[in-house]
Amino acid sequence: MAQIELEQICKTFSISKRPEGRFSLLRGAFVRTRETVRALDSISFSIQEGELVGYIGPNGAGKSTTVKIMSGILTPDSGRCTIMGRTPWTERVAHVSGIGVVFGQRSQLWWDVPVNDSFSLLKDIYRISTRDYNRKLSELTQALDIGSLLKTPVRQLSLGQRMRCEIVAALLHSPRILFLDEPTIGLDAVSKLALRDFLKQENSKNAVTMILTTHDMDDIEALCSRVMVIGHGKLLYNGSLGSLKERYSKLRCIRATLEQYTAAFDVECSERIDVDANTWTVWFDPAKTAAHTMIERLAKALPLRDVIIEEQDIDKIIAAMYKEMCI
Amino acid sequence: MNGIAATLKTCLSIFRIKTAESLQYRMAGLAGATTSIFFALIEITVYTVFYKYSSNQNAGLAAGLSLRQAVSYVWLGQLLFLMQPNFIESDILGKINSGDIGVELCRPLDLYANWFARTASTRLSPLLWRGLPIIFFAVIMPPAYRLELPSSLSGMFCSLISTVSALLLCTSFGMLACSVRLGIAWGEGPTNIIMLAGSVLSGAYLPLQLWPGFLQGFLLFQPFAGYLDIPMRLYLGTMPPSDAFWAIGLQLAWALLFAAAGKAIMARKLRNIVIQGG
Repeated sequence: MAQIELEQICKTFSISKRPEGRFSLLRGAFVRTRETVRALDSISFSIQEGELVGYIGPNGAGKSTTVKIMSGILTPDSGRCTIMGRTPWTERVAHVSGIGVVFGQRSQLWWDVPVNDSFSLLKDIYRISTRDYNRKLSELTQALDIGSLLKTPVRQLSLGQRMRCEIVAALLHSPRILFLDEPTIGLDAVSKLALRDFLKQENSKNAVTMILTTHDMDDIEALCSRVMVIGHGKLLYNGSLGSLKERYSKLRCIRATLEQYTAAFDVECSERIDVDANTWTVWFDPAKTAAHTMIERLAKALPLRDVIIEEQDIDKIIAAMYKEMCI
Repeated sequence: MNGIAATLKTCLSIFRIKTAESLQYRMAGLAGATTSIFFALIEITVYTVFYKYSSNQNAGLAAGLSLRQAVSYVWLGQLLFLMQPNFIESDILGKINSGDIGVELCRPLDLYANWFARTASTRLSPLLWRGLPIIFFAVIMPPAYRLELPSSLSGMFCSLISTVSALLLCTSFGMLACSVRLGIAWGEGPTNIIMLAGSVLSGAYLPLQLWPGFLQGFLLFQPFAGYLDIPMRLYLGTMPPSDAFWAIGLQLAWALLFAAAGKAIMARKLRNIVIQGG
């Protein structure tokens, strides 16, 4: 049996709405209409131990709701969910001792006391033995390079420093599953790369299953072997990132820098050509024409200075996909 | 049994970290102490006027509280008043409103126990930075304004135990208000009024013994006497130490009742809680 299994999970929220039109502000104070929103509409998937899965979708698609249900803090309206043999919301306390959660926009550290104090509180909360605690803490401290931060109050940490501490806090009790809800939000490039490296390592070394929700497609590309796309509460795609790209971005492009400006003319087998000053962007379908053939053709026809072959930007693919799926 | 011991240990850790956090705010404590001392002096002046110049000068004594005892009541009242839940703990309220309660629920720990420990710490920690200066000031005052020594050693001892029970009672009532507030977006008004009523009935504004005679039976048995009035009576000796057993028992019984109610309400609300924010 898979480590995580969701079957037909549904969750609705009711949202109160202010009436529209004249005097709506005033009328809204007396009458309120309620509207039911289907946050999750029959979501089913399963995840094996040790997988690193990206969970993406536009804002409000239901990502966080799914994570909240899987971490046992929300009860769905209907459906079945089994994680490590338990139903999260009925056996919450037993369930959460085996999982770690990082919410990028919330903190689990105590704001006004040194980081170390928060960690030793977690040691007591998760009932970690002193030996295990010291071993794991020194291992994580080294990997994430936070040794010098342990005595600093959390309020004085930068966002990147804090996020590294948050990750340590989530992993101290050696969870088998780690939920990461937008862990790289607001981080600079260096912190992001360091964090990704660490997550990858932790996943391969300790076989920690990770589920990552994010809007940063580079996160997904760097980390995830599988992606699930959710929109309007429905699971729209569940598979590898490669086949997602194949499906939504068949074309590849050659960016050619020329010696001088040359007006566009048709090149055999090209799908589209954009010209911007002395740069040509030539789109072609790699299934029909090999890249080197295309370059050869360009080299014959144009004064080339430099050539780069690019895949379509992943952000653009996802945007195109959201558009196509009408979400 | 093992589970309960472990939970208690965890709660103690939460209590410790929260207290360590609160004790950093020295200046706030000292500033608060100034307010308390100012109000204590005004109250003492008012009592002195009533006791000395009223048309029925024996009314206070007839109620069993002398002027000297009333003065001590004011000082200790300012101290124990700090323990009363007059509002829901701001940390916890913030977590309810912002949805950070989700993080708390990701811990393998009963939420009620977790927050009880936090609230208890918030109730107790002002006693240090704000409470100590009050007591210091109260002892060095001129005789007519001074805090008296306890009536007897056994009375002092009973009063201390009763103060610990008062802490449990204050915390469990604060937690009841907090459980009611959980998942509701109608603001602080209603819970604040309930808590203010507790404050008035505790004797913090007027010692319960000075309330009308026909109310005395009710006043002693209602839950909020346990906040402040019972430890105070034991200290002043207006309640003999031989009565301490049932009086403290009464405090604990109310605390237990509030805790049970709070826990039940919280359990029901958590079943269909909405975690705010993405």
